[in-house]
Amino acid sequence: MLDETLVLTWREVRKWLGRRGVLVSSLVTPLVWIALFGKSFNLQALLQPPPGSLPPGSEQLVRAMQEALRRRILELFGTTDYFTFMASGMLVVFSVFQGMFSGVSVIFDKRLGYMERLLSTPTPRPAIFLSRVLATLFRVTVLDTLLLAAALAMGMHLREGVTPIDLLAAWAYVLLLAAALSAGYATLSFYAEHQEVLFAASNLINLPLMFSSNALFPLKQMPDWLQAIAKANPVTHAASLVRHHLIGAPIDNYTLSLAYLTALTAALLLAGLYLSIRWMENR
Amino acid sequence: MECAVEARGLVKVYPGGVRAVDGVSFCIRRGEIFSLLGPNGAGKTTTVKMLATLLRPTSGDAYIMGRSVVRERGEVRRLIGLAPQDLTSDDEMSGWDNVYIQARLYGYPPGEARERARWALEYMGLLDVAGRKAATYSGGMRRRLEIAMSIVHRPSVLFLDEPTLGLDVQSRRHLWGLIRSLRREGVTILLTTHYMEEAEALSDRVAIIDHGRIIAEGAPAELVARLGGDRVHIVMGSPGEAERLAGELAARGWRARAAGREVVVTVENAAEALPRLAPLVRGAREIRVSRPNLEEVFLELTGRSLREGEEALDSFRYRVLARRIRR
Repeated sequence: MLDETLVLTWREVRKWLGRRGVLVSSLVTPLVWIALFGKSFNLQALLQPPPGSLPPGSEQLVRAMQEALRRRILELFGTTDYFTFMASGMLVVFSVFQGMFSGVSVIFDKRLGYMERLLSTPTPRPAIFLSRVLATLFRVTVLDTLLLAAALAMGMHLREGVTPIDLLAAWAYVLLLAAALSAGYATLSFYAEHQEVLFAASNLINLPLMFSSNALFPLKQMPDWLQAIAKANPVTHAASLVRHHLIGAPIDNYTLSLAYLTALTAALLLAGLYLSIRWMENR
Repeated sequence: MECAVEARGLVKVYPGGVRAVDGVSFCIRRGEIFSLLGPNGAGKTTTVKMLATLLRPTSGDAYIMGRSVVRERGEVRRLIGLAPQDLTSDDEMSGWDNVYIQARLYGYPPGEARERARWALEYMGLLDVAGRKAATYSGGMRRRLEIAMSIVHRPSVLFLDEPTLGLDVQSRRHLWGLIRSLRREGVTILLTTHYMEEAEALSDRVAIIDHGRIIAEGAPAELVARLGGDRVHIVMGSPGEAERLAGELAARGWRARAAGREVVVTVENAAEALPRLAPLVRGAREIRVSRPNLEEVFLELTGRSLREGEEALDSFRYRVLARRIRR
């Protein structure tokens, strides 16, 4: 089964890499976002008093205020550089957005007849499902690595003393989340007749997932109800884990986040396997 | 008699209650080319999908080399090759990659898969262009690539669903030659087509299918012979006139029936019958004589033409097909 899974994954990857300009077109959106959004919100500037506005003799008080503010920002964001905060969150959000393409590939194979050809072969059915997820993981690995490199070039700061283990761990968590999303989208696509269903679902799911998480803004400054939602949002847990390793932001409960993410991904993969095989074998 | 493919009372009712196949039974002998001939929507493709384990029959069963398509799906899949109606090859990849992947999916390790792919591409006359992206292939080459992908594991039974759909006459004839040569290798072939010439040219036996049922079965010549004699087609100005003439002729003892603007008269020998028939006809626009073919067998059995409902093909699929073939 592993063999067939890898062959079918290779088919997806091969097609993807063969498309001219695919890297540029995939990366342009997240790059524009981190460049415009991440760079426009300058936390450092908040710490600078307006020039000439200080009454004489207040320097010490101002410095104390600045220090307090700096600590508050550090507590909320885990860094005083918003660009660093946002770029690390985008690595996670981007893997959410990529999940949809597992579904796109299923729908096109169904509509173009390739699925029928595939189902008439002895290919183990789990391989047909798992290859879609694996292909997305490959794409996410390539694209996120390039995105991180670009962010670093644009001024993102990794934490002091970051190790290769940190990088590997961050990538593992990004992929864990990507696997959950792509399993979900792939499963949906076996049952959906048209790509429109998939696009509607991703519009419904992706943006709320991004905004109700700590990917763009820290949790602690959100209203309570939103915090409650964000804590159930897998993007929050993935982003917290990734930030912990990449930029050294404090994390509430490492084990809980890891367990939550792992359980969710395992559940979606198992449900996806069950439902997709049911679709394949019982029509 | 040994059947390579045996269908026993196959029924498929789709969710929503459409009875696409309504009790189909037949036996395809080993090494035979057997055609399912019928208009679009007759149940040909649904029948093939059940035989190829893509759809579960609502009732009935079928056996591929003695293996049940309901209970022994895994074994059946090793025995069969399917070339679906659509062009399923990835046009972003080379012909080689398309066929090689297919070989790997049948479980061959890389070395053996390469040998298989090479053989299949060579057989279909595509080895020279194997390195090119399938998108650059002509319509005929794309169809041959489809078959190469389906024979890479040397199946005992090959299903070809409308294998020449959208092809020009020349490419169609080329493909016919290749299909015949596969039969000579001992492959049993089930062909579905709504091209009468194709069924007539290729098949050892034909089953005519309409509304999910087989309405006639036999060798093409045999089916045609059942009609008996020649046809005289008298084209009139309107269906009403045709109706009237058919009535008049029938009253005088001729075997005549109206079909649209045309009156079709069945006679034993057209050359002898015409001098007696012609004086009875007034207002004819055109008189033609034909030897019956499968098209007319179908017309005779159903009162409809095979080509009716041709536009019923899923419009998206048709556009994709048209776009891919135009290149």
